[in-house]
Amino acid sequence: MSEFDSLLQGMNLILTPGHIGLMVIGVLLGILVGVLPGLGAPNGVALLLPLTFTMSPVSAIILLSCMYWGALFGGSITSILFNIPGEPSSVATTFDGYPMAREGRAAEALTAAFSSALIGALAGVLLLTFLSTRIAEFAMSFSSPEFFAVYLLAFCTFIGMSKNPPLKTVVAMMIGFAMAAVGMDTVSGNLRLTFDQPTLMTGISFEVAVIGLFGIGEILCTVEEGLVFRGEHARITPMVILRTWAKLPRYWWTIVRSTLVGCWMGITPGGPTAASFMSYSLARRFSKNRENFGKGELEGVIAPETADHAAGTSALLPMLTLGIPGSATAAVMLGGLMIWGLHPGPTLFVEQHDFVWGLIASMYLGNVVSLIVVLATVPLFASILRIPFSIIAPIIIMVCAIGAYSVHNSFFDVVLMLGFGALGYLFKKLGYPIAPLVLAAVLGDKAEDAFRQSMLFSDGHLGIFWSNPLVGGLTTAALLMLFWPLISKALQTLTGLRKPQLAKPKSVL
Amino acid sequence: MSQSSDSPALVGTRWVELGLTLFTTLIGVVVMYGSVEQGIGWGDSGPEPGYFPFYIGLLLSAASVGNGVLTLVRWKALSISFVSRSAFRQVLSVFIPIALFVAAMPFTGIYVASACFIAWFMWRDNTRVKPYGKLMIASISLGAVLASYLIFALWFKVPLDAGPLGDWIALAGRHFK
Repeated sequence: MSEFDSLLQGMNLILTPGHIGLMVIGVLLGILVGVLPGLGAPNGVALLLPLTFTMSPVSAIILLSCMYWGALFGGSITSILFNIPGEPSSVATTFDGYPMAREGRAAEALTAAFSSALIGALAGVLLLTFLSTRIAEFAMSFSSPEFFAVYLLAFCTFIGMSKNPPLKTVVAMMIGFAMAAVGMDTVSGNLRLTFDQPTLMTGISFEVAVIGLFGIGEILCTVEEGLVFRGEHARITPMVILRTWAKLPRYWWTIVRSTLVGCWMGITPGGPTAASFMSYSLARRFSKNRENFGKGELEGVIAPETADHAAGTSALLPMLTLGIPGSATAAVMLGGLMIWGLHPGPTLFVEQHDFVWGLIASMYLGNVVSLIVVLATVPLFASILRIPFSIIAPIIIMVCAIGAYSVHNSFFDVVLMLGFGALGYLFKKLGYPIAPLVLAAVLGDKAEDAFRQSMLFSDGHLGIFWSNPLVGGLTTAALLMLFWPLISKALQTLTGLRKPQLAKPKSVL
Repeated sequence: MSQSSDSPALVGTRWVELGLTLFTTLIGVVVMYGSVEQGIGWGDSGPEPGYFPFYIGLLLSAASVGNGVLTLVRWKALSISFVSRSAFRQVLSVFIPIALFVAAMPFTGIYVASACFIAWFMWRDNTRVKPYGKLMIASISLGAVLASYLIFALWFKVPLDAGPLGDWIALAGRHFK
């Protein structure tokens, strides 16, 4: 069956009033978590997960993925109007978005941000539509060593490409793996690392970690910085929208380049945050209006937003086809898939045809719905941010506590959330990344299974990871990625091509 | 409201860095210890349960020690303040109530604890020119709790522990029937 037929089938499945209603709800909730400090897309999806257990998987994934799109859009509202990135991935949007709002061009900046975001997202979905079946078919021939090598590649890329110190990334990742190991061993059924504590028998859920690290940790950081929301006002009129749209074609090359950057960073585990920064600095380097960047240049809003959303959507490609999420939010969704009883990976495309294509079709529709909803509700959400912190903060904390509690109906999880909150605060202050921890916590068991299976095949010889060209190539690529910081430094000194301004781009912050 | 610069430093970043590396090293050691208990060798059916986690613990400890060494190398540079006294007081003034809120939950149930938590948070907010009125505090804290009851317990059928209050209400409900 061709992709087009499958897509039509998926469209047929999701075009019901119920599903479209879910989309709108998901988008609204997403914008809300994107706008509120302390709640972000990974967090929001984790909080919503327990509520989806009674839904059908298709409805559940529509709700969660639309929440993701909504959060991506919502993040740009706070960036532009308040100079406060609601999401890490929208930090780059503040550089030019907020100056534009200060000049009274908030509506233009918002429209440009949302529209270019939609273009980026649609490009990501197109990629997903036409590549996913092929990658899934290719991955069907994978066995355990190949899967482990792919996991290894994902984790090593994180370490090598991260802006954070590599050793700190390793520490964060290993804590995630250790968390995943707590509880029942999937192979032998033994209880591991529980130290005879009954509360640990069910393991440590990644949802609790996400809620604590992202939610409570974020709140603590916000309090320390003593944030006050003092934002610009914006009213988006149809005239402004049309005028901004008329300007967009001028920036076609920026949009294309940002889309490519975004798709690439989304598929590889670089994630939306890295994509938006990279796209912004590329746009600045190649722009004719370089001097105007940082002072309110439209191009400086378009570039990061396009890349952000392209990365956000294409992060679902490796998640669906290989079972490897390209971002923290995708990792949480992957965890949700496993809880619903689906097995992310190539077999998903055969066994859960309706689910996969329902999801892909909903991504087209969901993003368009997002654009409409977000354009209509900007003033509403901007006014939410003007509610005093002493009202918003305790409510957010309550929602986090209830979310952590409802994972297993256990108060111990709420205590764990608090512990993760304190850890998240320290991590953020000391430059430890959080995303690898979440990724490892979600994928830990699967990576371990793949590793143990491979070891069984080979009787304990690591040589199995170089036993055929495919797995050997993947493993070698993983090691290259791991040592990339060292390799690139060595290459630079060898060739003597050390241009200071290229080797170290001026801090974009 | 930002007061990070004008008040004395509480603790140097290097000590916090070192403390965190010590903590993560310890986690690594605990993980290794737990894995050894399960057997880290090669059993009848292939790798034993502790085989994989043991190396995770080992890597965790090794990377933590590495971070510790890096901290020591940059000891001078890391003497900058981690957090100022007043900013940390600000953090504690949020963290301690959360801790109390979490500790109270099992005894009072989620709803009562949440309502008290929100009310307390609003009541002690002294950054405002005019403090919140009693009616405002009551309506927001009770409203938020009611909303969470409706959303979680009623619509999505995720039962939340209501504690003794829930028992009383249930009892009263039976009594009136």
